[in-house]
Amino acid sequence: MNPTTLASYSNLALYSAMLVFAFAMLAFTGHLAALRPVTRDELKELAREPALVGGSVSGQEGEAATTDRPASARREASDSSATAAGGLEPSLRARKLASSGIALTWLATALLTGSVVLRGVATSRPPWGNMFEFATAAACAVSIGYSVLAKRNRWEWLGLFVVGPVLLTLGLATTAFYVDDAELMPILRSYWLLIHVTVAILAVASFTLALALGVAYLLVARREGQEHKTASFLDALPSAARLERTVYATNMVGFILWTFTLVAGAIWAQKAWGSYWTWDPKEVWTFVVWCLYAGYMHARATAGWEPRKATYLALIGYAAVIVNFAVVNVFFVGQHSYAGL
Amino acid sequence: MTVMAARLGPTGWARWAWRQLTSMRTALFLLMLLAVAAVPGSIFPQRSIDAGRVANYLVSHPTIGPWLDRLSFFDVFSSPWFSAIYLLLVISLLGCIIPRMRTHVSALRSLPPRAPARLDRLAAYAQIVVDGDVETALAAAETVLKKRRFRVARHDAGSVSAENGYLRESGNLLFHVGLCAIIVGVAVGHLFGWRGDIIVPVGSGFSSTMTSYDTMNPGPLVNTSKLPPFQLTLDALTVTFNQQAGGQLGVPRQFSASITTVDKPGDAPVKQPLDLNAPVGIDGSNVYLLGNGYAPVITVRDASGKVLYQEATPFLPQDNSYRSVGTVKVTSAVPEQLGLSGLFLPTADPRAGAEPVSIFPGPDNPELILAVYRGTLFPGDLPQSVYTLNTSQMSPVAGADGKPLVLRLTPGQRVTLPNGLGSVSFDKVLRWGGLSVRHDPGKQVTFGAAVLTILALLATLLVRRRRLFVRAVELPEDPAEGAASAQADWSGPAGRRTVVRIGGISRTTDPALNALVASICDELTERNRPA
Repeated sequence: MNPTTLASYSNLALYSAMLVFAFAMLAFTGHLAALRPVTRDELKELAREPALVGGSVSGQEGEAATTDRPASARREASDSSATAAGGLEPSLRARKLASSGIALTWLATALLTGSVVLRGVATSRPPWGNMFEFATAAACAVSIGYSVLAKRNRWEWLGLFVVGPVLLTLGLATTAFYVDDAELMPILRSYWLLIHVTVAILAVASFTLALALGVAYLLVARREGQEHKTASFLDALPSAARLERTVYATNMVGFILWTFTLVAGAIWAQKAWGSYWTWDPKEVWTFVVWCLYAGYMHARATAGWEPRKATYLALIGYAAVIVNFAVVNVFFVGQHSYAGL
Repeated sequence: MTVMAARLGPTGWARWAWRQLTSMRTALFLLMLLAVAAVPGSIFPQRSIDAGRVANYLVSHPTIGPWLDRLSFFDVFSSPWFSAIYLLLVISLLGCIIPRMRTHVSALRSLPPRAPARLDRLAAYAQIVVDGDVETALAAAETVLKKRRFRVARHDAGSVSAENGYLRESGNLLFHVGLCAIIVGVAVGHLFGWRGDIIVPVGSGFSSTMTSYDTMNPGPLVNTSKLPPFQLTLDALTVTFNQQAGGQLGVPRQFSASITTVDKPGDAPVKQPLDLNAPVGIDGSNVYLLGNGYAPVITVRDASGKVLYQEATPFLPQDNSYRSVGTVKVTSAVPEQLGLSGLFLPTADPRAGAEPVSIFPGPDNPELILAVYRGTLFPGDLPQSVYTLNTSQMSPVAGADGKPLVLRLTPGQRVTLPNGLGSVSFDKVLRWGGLSVRHDPGKQVTFGAAVLTILALLATLLVRRRRLFVRAVELPEDPAEGAASAQADWSGPAGRRTVVRIGGISRTTDPALNALVASICDELTERNRPA
């Protein structure tokens, strides 16, 4: 098969993945809507079908006892409905929608992975040589990461927070950043492309997952601080303290990978441009991102800083990641001009 | 009641300032400030990267430009304010880690502390009942803990204290030391390093001396008379561009060179390839292939046909299609000096009356477009760029129609100038390679420090500092009572039995601590089982 045909199959797979992600997003949205605590009428309904509820939620509750979380609105709500609904178990509809969402995400992830692989075969190189390919590969890494972790951690509720940004990224990639398959520019032909850019993709993917978790954490934390008002899907999420630990762990992985990206980039720059650091705009922003996330790590570790404030720092860090990708590549003059636009 | 504000003497104030500077809050603030301060360096052109763009910016922004310049916005990374921030940050960091190093060294030398009386109040806690007396149980606990690489101490007969994960703090300190070492490496490179850039037409070469480079940037402490005296000839240069029509037309596809080097005068010449991403090392320096362009070979003769100028003249590319600018300065022309200035187009638009633009970067339809000036080339003998003509004391040569003469030449073409000024010929096109020679004695330090920093980061983030305490109390002889009080499923023969209590704490949130305590309990039970 010739490269052009392979590349068109790659694009076909990409568009199919986007379509499936869109359905997954709908399913996850429905799941969150169905997660809110059941009403009195629904309780009666459920009482008639006791076989449909039950089971275990130990995955989410394993650590609840060790957290210092105040008695949350969620717990009160669940206690009052515990008699009929069996504690926190989501409704049948919510569970059905969740498994549809997960299944669709797996399918879309498989399609997206296929698209990236085909693009690599079509161009005979790592398929991350320009902005379009980087965005697609990063979206793919995020989807794979989520697909793997969702099952183990029962992260169905996170689906919307992950699939939404992934779909947005793919939409931008196919419209604003799209370039046809082509050979690499001579300067990019180095095994450091595989090392530096692959790790950068993994770092960005970790930061993105951490962002999704971070937003969920901030919502839950705000809710836990409030007096109980109306029913919300947030009550079915893990506790703020538990979420916050996950946010930290995910950001930590991202920070380690980002540090490695920075050092590997400097080593490549030394080989390619003769100087390991020239304050090229991309280097400036990579450094800015590193400082912001380093600030987050320190703020998180320092007593006296609320974890909520520290998480805002991580969100600012992620904004810098976006600038580093979308603004620096397109608008700033520098040596990292590989957008291909 | 009156409250007297405590008076601080100069020492008191100094101590207060030092404490403020070395506090985590200040360090964090400085780190965030550093991130913000770096941003202008990506927005405004920087002299260290491209002085030409800075000059253009100043021309096109006459009001705000000079103010930005005064505030060092074009030299952000060597500006007083950026330097102040990172120097304060380094001092703050050192002020923070040096006392911590002292504490950590003494922690490394000391034993884990005594076990607290109530272990069940610790973050993780479990208890089991085992056969045998207190000493046997504690000895087993000690063995198990040592096997798990805990440092173990027996402060009294009834307890064992254990601690591990010292690497967490070691890694943390090494990470910060590594960051300082990176700065040292950068400083060494800045002070003792140098870079020379030179444009070399194919077939030509140069000897590395201070003056032979087009631009030379030595560090403040470089002895410029002692540069490595190598010689280099650019034998060949291969540059290809994408020929396919479409979005990728004219995108570079291949760029490589072949060079001959002589390390020291008298050494045997070495022929070797010089490619992108593959610099050639000569005598402690590295030669990089960074740019390319065209050098038309231009000959200028006087009216009698004597050659006044014959050189491959590098022209500088201005866009991705290699529309290039350059000049020819004929100093030996009489009675007045001659200057030619203009454009080289590798692929001129073949349509008649087209704009002087290049439509492809490859040399498919080369054309040279030159204006001709006569007069004084170097007024006041001031230095000037090779690529521009100072026409302040020159006048354009008029053509037959009375308008300023513009020569349009294709390879092999020769044009006679009016008024017996001689002739200009465009003989052929050569390429030139932009070479950069770099010497950075600090880069090994920086590299080593960066590797250390990553390893230390992994250690400090992945290792957990934990303390475990074990207390053992022998049960009274009655098995029923003992089993009940310890809530254990003990059902062996009557004998001495001991309750073992294990408690653990961690410096940080540690979801795995409970599992660790449980697994130690399991292992103790396992060992206790009769063979």
